[in-house]
Amino acid sequence: MTDEELMLAVVNGDQSAYQVIVKQHLKSVSHYAYRMLGNQKDTEDIAQEAFLKLWINAGKWQVEKSKLSTWLHRIAHNLCIDFLRKHRRTQLQSEILEGVEPNQEPHENPREGSEAFQRAKQLEMAIRGLPENQRSALVLCHYSGFSNKEAAVIMNMSIKALESAIARAKRSLRNELSETGIEHQ
Amino acid sequence: MITLDEFSHLIEVHSSNLAAWPSDLQIAGEDFLATSEEARALMKDYLELEQQLDELPVPMFSGLEAKILGQSLPPRTPSLLEQLLEWLLPNSRFRLRLWQPVAAACLPLVFGIVLGNFYSFGVTFESDEMEYWEDELTMLSLNNYSENDF
Repeated sequence: MTDEELMLAVVNGDQSAYQVIVKQHLKSVSHYAYRMLGNQKDTEDIAQEAFLKLWINAGKWQVEKSKLSTWLHRIAHNLCIDFLRKHRRTQLQSEILEGVEPNQEPHENPREGSEAFQRAKQLEMAIRGLPENQRSALVLCHYSGFSNKEAAVIMNMSIKALESAIARAKRSLRNELSETGIEHQ
Repeated sequence: MITLDEFSHLIEVHSSNLAAWPSDLQIAGEDFLATSEEARALMKDYLELEQQLDELPVPMFSGLEAKILGQSLPPRTPSLLEQLLEWLLPNSRFRLRLWQPVAAACLPLVFGIVLGNFYSFGVTFESDEMEYWEDELTMLSLNNYSENDF
């Protein structure tokens, strides 16, 4: 079934169509929320709320205006921004690097693994330090695979503003990583 | 020819993969990369950054799918406004097709209104008599009907 058919079914109260949409988009939405919020519990809350909003507002989606994934990420983006504004958190959550995906290859050398961990932690902190719009632009374009145009739609800004945000984000990360002396091994 | 600043901006905006750049800038980017040592250093930096970004772990959200699918969903009964909008502007192609005969039936009416608006077909409401109707009314009002025998 196409996104349009699935959403039409959802509008008519078809829960099995809703399940298909959840299965198709959950990974992308939860990863986006995690990279924006930095902790697992809040990510799960946001993902749940995003899909609930999809169910309630299914009739508002217009196929000719945006893809379903774009619309859904826009919902998740707005929820993340609202959440971050309500719960301004200056300190990093302790569980940022908890629960690495099990399909990652294990490090043969524990020391090498430890360095990789430190490097990842440093980069995670640098990302967390970025302003919300720069972080969001980076996550949408680098991780979620959206084009600059789609990311601009999700973030409700012009493409020029989006490109400016992503350029500033990458420049900041590059500068920060070179200052802290972390180089990829 | 592009400058180092432009090259840097393009890498930041479109990634270090030149194939992802706008097609009209790819050749200029390749040429600049081939001739500039600084461009190559910049490219190396961003390649490393992107590689490190790719390696960042994300937790496994085990149980989240079940949680979302298990949450009670409010009944999807569309509001009256939604129902009205759906009736007027149906999303479903089938229901949209129902409007086609209605629209076809209305076409002669619309055609008639448009035509009637622009062409009089020789029928005119203007006549000499009509020009004096106000005078006629005034004269009638002056008549003393009480003198008439009924």
